[in-house]
Amino acid sequence: MTESEKLKYIKKLKDMIISCSGIGDCRIGYRPAVGCFGVCPVYEHSPGFEPYQARGKLRVLYGLLEGTLEPSEELARVWYQCTSCGGCHAICHQSFNENINLFVCNYINQNEVWEAFRADLVDAGLAIPRHQELIQSIIDEHNPYFESHADRVKWLEGREFPEKAETVYFMGCTEPYRLPEYAQKMVKILDTAGIDYTIMHPNEWCCGSIAFRTGFLELAKELAEHNITAIQETGAKNVVIHCAGCYKTFVEDYPKILGNELPFKVYHATEFFLDLVNQGKLNFNKAIEKKVTYHDPCHLGRATKIYDAPRELLKKIPGIELVEMKRIRENAWCCGAGGGVKSAFPDLAVEIAKDRILEAESISIKTIVTACPFCVNNLRDGAKALGKEDFEIKDILDFITEALE
Amino acid sequence: MNVLENMRKIVGSEFVSNADFILQSYGKGICGGLVEKRPDYVVRPKSPEEIAEILTMANAERIPVIPRGGGAGLLECTLPLKPGGIVLDTTRMDKILDFNENNLTVTVQCGITWAQLNSFLNERGYYTGTLGPGSGMSAAVGGGLSHHSVGGGGAAKYGAVTKHCVGLKVVLANGDIVTTGSGASKYVKEPFSRWLLGPDLTSIFFGDQGIMGVKVEATLLIYPKPKYRSYRTFIVKRKPAEVISKIFMDIRKSGDLGVYDAFWLPELSVSAGLGLLFVKDIIVFKLWKDTNPKGEDIFFYTCEAGSESELESRVNKLNEMVLQNKGVEALGPEIADGNIAKWYYEQNGHWQIYHGFWGASGPGAIPQTAEHHLPIHQIPRMMDAFTKWESENQDLLTQAGPAIHGLGSALLCDHTTVEMDSGLVVWNKPEFREVNDALWKSCLEMVIKNGGLPYMAGMRYSRALIDAEALLDPFYNFMKMVKQALDPNGIISPGKYYLGGEQ
Repeated sequence: MTESEKLKYIKKLKDMIISCSGIGDCRIGYRPAVGCFGVCPVYEHSPGFEPYQARGKLRVLYGLLEGTLEPSEELARVWYQCTSCGGCHAICHQSFNENINLFVCNYINQNEVWEAFRADLVDAGLAIPRHQELIQSIIDEHNPYFESHADRVKWLEGREFPEKAETVYFMGCTEPYRLPEYAQKMVKILDTAGIDYTIMHPNEWCCGSIAFRTGFLELAKELAEHNITAIQETGAKNVVIHCAGCYKTFVEDYPKILGNELPFKVYHATEFFLDLVNQGKLNFNKAIEKKVTYHDPCHLGRATKIYDAPRELLKKIPGIELVEMKRIRENAWCCGAGGGVKSAFPDLAVEIAKDRILEAESISIKTIVTACPFCVNNLRDGAKALGKEDFEIKDILDFITEALE
Repeated sequence: MNVLENMRKIVGSEFVSNADFILQSYGKGICGGLVEKRPDYVVRPKSPEEIAEILTMANAERIPVIPRGGGAGLLECTLPLKPGGIVLDTTRMDKILDFNENNLTVTVQCGITWAQLNSFLNERGYYTGTLGPGSGMSAAVGGGLSHHSVGGGGAAKYGAVTKHCVGLKVVLANGDIVTTGSGASKYVKEPFSRWLLGPDLTSIFFGDQGIMGVKVEATLLIYPKPKYRSYRTFIVKRKPAEVISKIFMDIRKSGDLGVYDAFWLPELSVSAGLGLLFVKDIIVFKLWKDTNPKGEDIFFYTCEAGSESELESRVNKLNEMVLQNKGVEALGPEIADGNIAKWYYEQNGHWQIYHGFWGASGPGAIPQTAEHHLPIHQIPRMMDAFTKWESENQDLLTQAGPAIHGLGSALLCDHTTVEMDSGLVVWNKPEFREVNDALWKSCLEMVIKNGGLPYMAGMRYSRALIDAEALLDPFYNFMKMVKQALDPNGIISPGKYYLGGEQ
């Protein structure tokens, strides 16, 4: 690698890196007026040195840019212990609203910086070995779960779909391989509403989320280009996605890496189904008497600003009582699984998930509902680790399908 | 002696590091444009006993120790004088030890942030009065006491945070763990007063910039949070320095009108925030786009009361007092009317507007503060001094990119004292370091020689005081004697006020 190629990704973001004022609200901001009670879940469960939180990370990058530091394995190990939840970005930018727009807030996109340095670490041969294994699985089988590509549709039990349709259901990898009941529920809801839709198998590949998050940008671009072409071949105008990670990747990363708007509309399942309910195409006939709280997935909430659709859907289900936790919406506490943490640092992911379970319990709630299979998985691991087998982690699809019965 | 191994034994290997990237992250302050000063080790103890062991070892080995809270100080407060030493990161010690409604006190570990503490208290109907420094969301209680902090809200009513501390637990350089205030009596079970056990030794550790010992626990007074609040904002169209000094003074002379905060945002800040001076494409103060389009000076206050009628009466009196000044106009009561005071409390919830403002001249602009305290009536004179300094330093200011300079905001704090949030905003680029440094030194000297008292002095401002020969010899000698008695080897934060660390 030539000297100019070294750290090429963070060099492009120098203005962001030198703009950090260093106040450190990203460490542990508490601001009750805006509902912020703590910021960085990793900081809370780490040795707590500065590089575990955003301010310290930016200071490290400053040193790398100035040449007083070199990337190392130890640094990479700390760097990858970030769930990319965006809590630091939210608190840094929280003074940005309809009345105030503070300068520094405009200059820094923390997640963009974190991921840029991950790309530099990959270039420097310092990627986390476990991530490299997942990436190899994506290259070989188009999914990060070491499963055969053919098995992506095992849960469909031979059902066939048309080649062309107005809407594509992009299933992602976690649902078909790890939580197939949610893929089945997606299909059930789409069928009930009479949607003209299809799936892309065998042309659906991993969306590339893990490649984007962990710095394998060349593969990420390849996956993005492949999936976009495959969707276009179906003639679909709409893509509906339930996995929050896939959804963020489509709406945020694909346009950025390709430099173009997508040639179709992308909907998260909650937005799509809320529209169907409002149009009378989905009717909730069965009451579900349950008190629940809603966990905002980071990729759906902070990243793509979908806070209201899942809540509105829950409120439309007869019998459901939605009780909010203290940390919600922009200030929601991460489930702990994102950014490649679940695969490389599973214990850390579970520790963070436990926080969320305990937070729900503190408001006397025994059921967390969310809208992301990855959050479901990790929160269930958190509940199990706490020995709370009776604590329920549900996806919103569970309630929608039940209410449709 | 293997220092690293020793500290691993004391705190556990997870909580001490000498990794280059970790040291790097502690080697720059908020004034990030200046040269970094990496420590040799960073350690995160969890108890006074662990700190005592670390200090005992450092004292025996003559290793400098720099106590650090939230790391939010602006004047090299938590940087060593020169590279090396141990940074003692106290933020792991963030527990609330005793919430005492009988005494209206709370005892905390000093690594807790002011905002964490006040969130806890607010839920129970209380607050600490003054909410800590302007960076209170991330600043620790220990740092606030070390800097005699104001700025996080409540300073007009409650003054600096130190006023409300009735006792400390401090670890001295020799490893002794000392309780000060009424908690020093074995018969006092619940600390309630700073005095009456001989001289007030707690105060030695207030505003000390962390040089006298390591604060590990503090007992603070708490106050019921009044239920009723009102916020008012005004445009000051003529002679702002004179008019605002008069308003601040009138507030003090009027007795208790429940003024919680009183703030001045000068034309420099407001007009820059309206895109009239520097960055044109970002309008900061959208709330003044229509109501204050010329970016004139702003004054605002927050008033508290126990009942609606009391609040109404206080607001009427205050408005009358403010509006009797020629050229002062009231803005409407809602945020959309330009009422920034209401925005602060109800939409933002924290006073850190100036932090987000530092990028006013573009990406990479950072502060070099000269914040100081001053008697109210001297505001106009200090503003004149800034103008004179500007004309004398025009060349340097231009060479610096240019640098923005002057008063960013001012707030009323203890009695007739104002905190003047002033200084420079410079470019965080290596090519400007030398000139930035020269400007900063010059600006601090000017403030000191005009009678301003360094706020949040840290390494830089404390040394500027001595460079300017501001301290009378008997006082400085007395300070040296106290330091010598508490820290004879000069290991704690050496270099501040030129006390130790020169070799």
